[in-house]
Amino acid sequence: MRNAMAAEWVKLWSVRSTWLCLAGAVIVTVLGGLTLGGAQATEALREGVAGARVVVTDPVISATAFAQYAVITLAMLLVTSEYASGSIRGTLQVVPIRGRVLAAKALVVAPVMFAAGVLSGGVAALVTHLVLSSDTFGGLAAFPPGEAVADLLRLGVFCALTGVLTVGVSVAVRGSAGALTAMFLLTMGLPLMLAMTGSQVALDVSMRLPTFAGLAFMESTENMTGGPIPYPALEGLAWLTGWTALALVAGQVVLRRRDA
Amino acid sequence: MIRLDHLTKRYGDRAAVDDLTLELKPGAVTGFLGPNGAGKSTTMRMILGLDRPSSGRALIGGRPYHELEHPLRTVGALLDARAVHPGRSGRAHLLAMARGGGIPRARVARVLEMAGLGEAAGKRAGTLSLGMSQRLGIAGALLGDPEVLMFDEPVNGLDPDGVRWVRRLMRSLAAEGRTVFVSSHLMSEMQLTADHLVVIGKGRLIADAPLAQVLATPSVLVRTPHAGDLADLLTSPGVSVTRRGENELVVTGATLERIGDLAHDAGVRLHELSPREASLEQAYQELTAGSVEYGAEGAR
Repeated sequence: MRNAMAAEWVKLWSVRSTWLCLAGAVIVTVLGGLTLGGAQATEALREGVAGARVVVTDPVISATAFAQYAVITLAMLLVTSEYASGSIRGTLQVVPIRGRVLAAKALVVAPVMFAAGVLSGGVAALVTHLVLSSDTFGGLAAFPPGEAVADLLRLGVFCALTGVLTVGVSVAVRGSAGALTAMFLLTMGLPLMLAMTGSQVALDVSMRLPTFAGLAFMESTENMTGGPIPYPALEGLAWLTGWTALALVAGQVVLRRRDA
Repeated sequence: MIRLDHLTKRYGDRAAVDDLTLELKPGAVTGFLGPNGAGKSTTMRMILGLDRPSSGRALIGGRPYHELEHPLRTVGALLDARAVHPGRSGRAHLLAMARGGGIPRARVARVLEMAGLGEAAGKRAGTLSLGMSQRLGIAGALLGDPEVLMFDEPVNGLDPDGVRWVRRLMRSLAAEGRTVFVSSHLMSEMQLTADHLVVIGKGRLIADAPLAQVLATPSVLVRTPHAGDLADLLTSPGVSVTRRGENELVVTGATLERIGDLAHDAGVRLHELSPREASLEQAYQELTAGSVEYGAEGAR
């Protein structure tokens, strides 16, 4: 198992796309944090609520709904690039036990994504704090250390789980186009479509799909549908973990059954 | 070392590999021949546990591939030289393999050197020529210093130096007592490299015999304006005469001298009397006639 992970580690860092995706994660998180943070501050100023403040990790976490695609792309490429080039056959020659290959990829992706989440979130929070502290935004920015660190750690966990989820889906789907479509539907298309039906059941389901489950876990103050997420943070973690486990099982089944 | 036991692979109702039973012995180069689509690559993939057999099994030292304790140290294989991430350097590709197989890093440099890759090892694999990719693939197969080596079309894209290198490499690997299994379309190359041949067509075993046995018997080419008369003269038990065109005969079972003497005695004028080397090409064509999957109409 250690050998299989070491191989995945070498593979991850020996292609340019890894660095591009990580840079993309930082850039999108910073931009998202700035725009959402700016919007929150502007709104607070307009309403003129006394003592209003914007905890800078809040908009950063909300931005994760978009920034997660850098994480998803990176985790996906670790799998689909092997199917595209045919090097998956080499991988399976080195490590013929299917479950071990899948586990190695998941175990390498998880800590890297955790770090990517904490790092990009941290950078975004700092930049957002810097900008929102200016007079233009009324100096509303707040950076309470304890809360911020907890937020960033949860962001890391979200990224790690989303990365592993993507590995499972990608192993099941194999192709880049298919895997990205599946991930987009699962994390964005489906929840938005369900939310738009206006049916309470559909909305409840959509709230438990990975993106909203993740936002719930990160105690996001807002979500794309406007309303609050109607269940506790830990339940969000449970849902996200469940989806991730399901994806891994699907990946394992396909990996074992289908010819490489 | 490798044993195929009624190995079969079906796609729908078409059998890509059909009830293949054979054994590959150590210390020899076994050439694996067959027309395109005959099932050579599928067979190799099943040996490596990449494709699941529909029935039957492939065993390496008595065990299926996925039960090998040290797969990379047991079997080294080159299936598709282009199957490398195009953005990854050859060195990183081999390093990842080495890490996965628990092989010391120094071995990477060693096989790169053996394969003559030199500076090309640091370049992105997508920028390598096919010949360089083949060398990288062969380096990968050698990485674990395995007892069994399998190569699918290893000389594709190699220059004459590369072809000679591969030939010498195969010979020396077999001389060290390893099992070498190599597929190729190049009959002349196989004739120089292989000790033993396995020929398949439409997934079925056609021949499994030592090279010398598969090779066509030597024959003599005779060109004469009196081809018909000479054919009558030569025809006797043990001698076979094939007429080719207006004035050519291919004779087997009679020596050059005997044919010349006979013609001289009968006053038959000869324009050419030449030995024809036993050729694998010829033997192969006779063996696989009728089992060509994608043959061009009228090409034969």
